Formats: sequence, structure tokens, C-alpha cells
Amino acid sequence: MWTLSDEALLAGLGSGDPEAAAAFVHRFQRRVFGMTLSILRDRQAAEEAAQEAFVRAWRHASTYDPRKGTVAAWLLMIARNVSINMLPSHRSYPVDPEVLLGLQDPGPSQDPGPSQDRDSQLAPVSEPIREALMRLPAEQRRALVLAVFYGYTAREVSEQDGTPVGTVKTRIRAALMRLRSELGVSDER
Amino acid sequence: MNGEMGCEQVRELAPELAIGIADGQDRDAALRHAVTCPDCRRLVAGLSTVVDDLLLLAPTQEPPPGFAARTVARISPPAARHRWASRPAARHVPAGRRWLPRLAVAASIIAALAVGAGTVYQGTASDRRLADSYRAVLAQGHGSFFAAAPLRGPTGTAGTLFGYQGSPSWLWATVHLPDATAQRFTVQLITRDGRHLPAGTAVLGGTHHTWSALIPVNLTNVTQLRFVAASGQTTMVAHLNARSPWGSG
Repeated sequence: MWTLSDEALLAGLGSGDPEAAAAFVHRFQRRVFGMTLSILRDRQAAEEAAQEAFVRAWRHASTYDPRKGTVAAWLLMIARNVSINMLPSHRSYPVDPEVLLGLQDPGPSQDPGPSQDRDSQLAPVSEPIREALMRLPAEQRRALVLAVFYGYTAREVSEQDGTPVGTVKTRIRAALMRLRSELGVSDER
Repeated sequence: MNGEMGCEQVRELAPELAIGIADGQDRDAALRHAVTCPDCRRLVAGLSTVVDDLLLLAPTQEPPPGFAARTVARISPPAARHRWASRPAARHVPAGRRWLPRLAVAASIIAALAVGAGTVYQGTASDRRLADSYRAVLAQGHGSFFAAAPLRGPTGTAGTLFGYQGSPSWLWATVHLPDATAQRFTVQLITRDGRHLPAGTAVLGGTHHTWSALIPVNLTNVTQLRFVAASGQTTMVAHLNARSPWGSG
């Protein structure tokens, strides 16, 4: 199979072509399932969420705008939102964002959870931002990851961590601005 | 927060906007401001890029066996995959008239696409933009892919045959015959399994330069299109070997 760009495959998916749909799912299934499993921590629920994410991608393929980001990020955002909506009470869900992203070894005494299976892999393209994330102060990193991956608002992070809302907002803002600076992201797109 | 926001407030809220956790009212107010403020818009866009990159950090996991098949089944039900194969060819000729306006639209789109695609490739636009155009065209015409092949005549290339796999699928030929007077042709499709299917008639030559028809089979099943003169002799032929770009191969 020749290499089609992610955008071309998404175009095929949007057109309803079964072969394009299969190729698209094959290309992204591990990432999408990894995302939903990381959030839901239940393989059956994660599969349901991952399937729903692909169905939504198919239905809304025409709304994808390549100027606003990659297909992978667009799809993972869909997967994240589907997963968050499926959490019965995610606000009180015990979560360790450091373990979620493999930023911290869970250690032998901790249950690593399904997201830390032996074959878990990380996308090579994510290494620069992983390193930049590791350099953030731990409290900033935690607030940012809770917000980005679990959809926690600043108030919810505040309630979970017992930290003033204003402090959480400052941490999220500082973390994101520092990452932007370290990664050399311009404000043009 | 109600009412209007200024740049300072939007900048404060920008990280939460980029992450998608801003309160609904705040988000609406901030986005109203961003519409008219390029600086704030660029700030949110830049932070959104960082958020996108962060999402790529999620660990990948092998899904359960059969996941892809189950997912694809939800996206494209089996009945839809074989909608053409299950219909007898003869039923499509009269039914095709209902599609003529859409066919005309699709034909104009393919012409625009040909020009647009050439411009994109020759210019500085990216593969993304080309794919975006392609997707828009396919979505407009309810299609999967395009194909094209030269149309050979007695003295060489006589034109181009374009094929479209969609709902419906169709063929469109542009022809330039040297004859000053128009001729009537019978058009035949030859399928991979050797069937000869009638595809209507064509009047070409003189001031007549195009022919088109809906086809009752999948485009990948068409191997030849023939224009047969009144004498029974094949005057022009195009060989198609269309394959879906989405599949393997």
C-alpha cells in the first residue's frame, strides 16, 4: 500500500469508502484506543469510546481544517471528549497524570493500570514535548495534564488538589506558555 | 463573565480556551473578541498547537482483536458497500435521468479539480490543501475517487476519459475528432468479467466534444470503454485500470 497522507485518508473516510475507512482505522486505532483506555481504564468502555471517536470522525470529516492542526490531534481530541463524556463521575476519579503519560515509573507496589501494559509505546514525534513537559515544575505539569487529558476545569483541579482556583489557573497558564516558548511554537496558524 | 471582553481578559483565558475547559459564557465572549482581534486569535491558535502536541503523548495501545472490523462496520454498513453490485444494469439507464443535474455538477467539479490540482502541485501549497480540495469534491459528489485514461482513436489520442466512483458512478469523456461532421456512436463498457454492457449513444465530431453516462457497475470493474461507429467498427477505446487509492495495492 502506498503511503497516503493522513489528510488524504481522512478524505476517503469522509467519502464513506470502506477501504479508506479500514485504512484510516488501521492507521490510528492504537493511538485512539490508547487515549480512551488511558482515560477510562476499562478495556470494554475504551473500545466503545474508540469506536465512537472513529464514527464521529467519519461524520464530521468535512469539518476538519488542516490549518488548525494535524489529523492525529483532531482525532485524539475527539477521542478525549468522547471518553470524558463516558466517565460516570470523572470529577472524583482517582488519576495520576504522571503515570498516565509514563512520566513517572509507577513502581512495583502500584497498579500501573491498563495504560501501562508492556507493549505500551509512545509516538516518536512526541519526544520533544515530553522532555519539555518533564522540565516543568511538578505542580504545573499535574494541573496541565489533568486539564488537557481529563478535561478538568481549573475549579475542579482546585477542588481535587485543595489549591486556590487562581493558583491553578496560573499554573496552567504558566505551563502552557512555557511549553509554547520551549517548543518554539509561533502564534501563526 | 457576561458582556464583552478586552485583550487582557482574553489573554488570561487563552490557555483554557486552547484546552477546551473554559466556561461556556467566558468562551463565547472571548471568541467574539477573537473574531475581531488577530493578536488574540493568534495567541489562542499557538497555544492550541501545544495542546495538540500534548495529546500525542497519550500512550498507544493495541486494541482488542477485531476492533478495526467492528469499527469499519459501524462506519460503512455492508449493504451500502454493494449497492451497485446488487442491482441489474438495465434498471439504471432510465433511472439515470434523475441524476443528470448532479452529474453536470460533478462534471464541472472535476474540471475545476483538474485545474485546481495542477495549480496546487505547481505552487507552494501543501499536500494537505490538495487533500482538502479532493475531500470537498468527493463529499460534494458523494464519491470515493477519480480515475482517468487516454481515449485512443485511429490517429492517436482522441481525448480523455474521466471516471468517478461514487453514488452514482459515472464516466465523462472529452473528445476531439478531426471530422467536421458529427457521427453517432454506440458506447460499450467492458467489465473485468468480460461482460459487454451498453452505455448509451454518443454524437461526436463537429461541434460535439463530450460524452457522459452513469455506469451500473463499480468503476474498478470497468476495463474498457468503446465508441463503436455505425459500421460496427470500434473507432475509439479507453483502457481503465481504476483502483481505489484507499485500499492496498
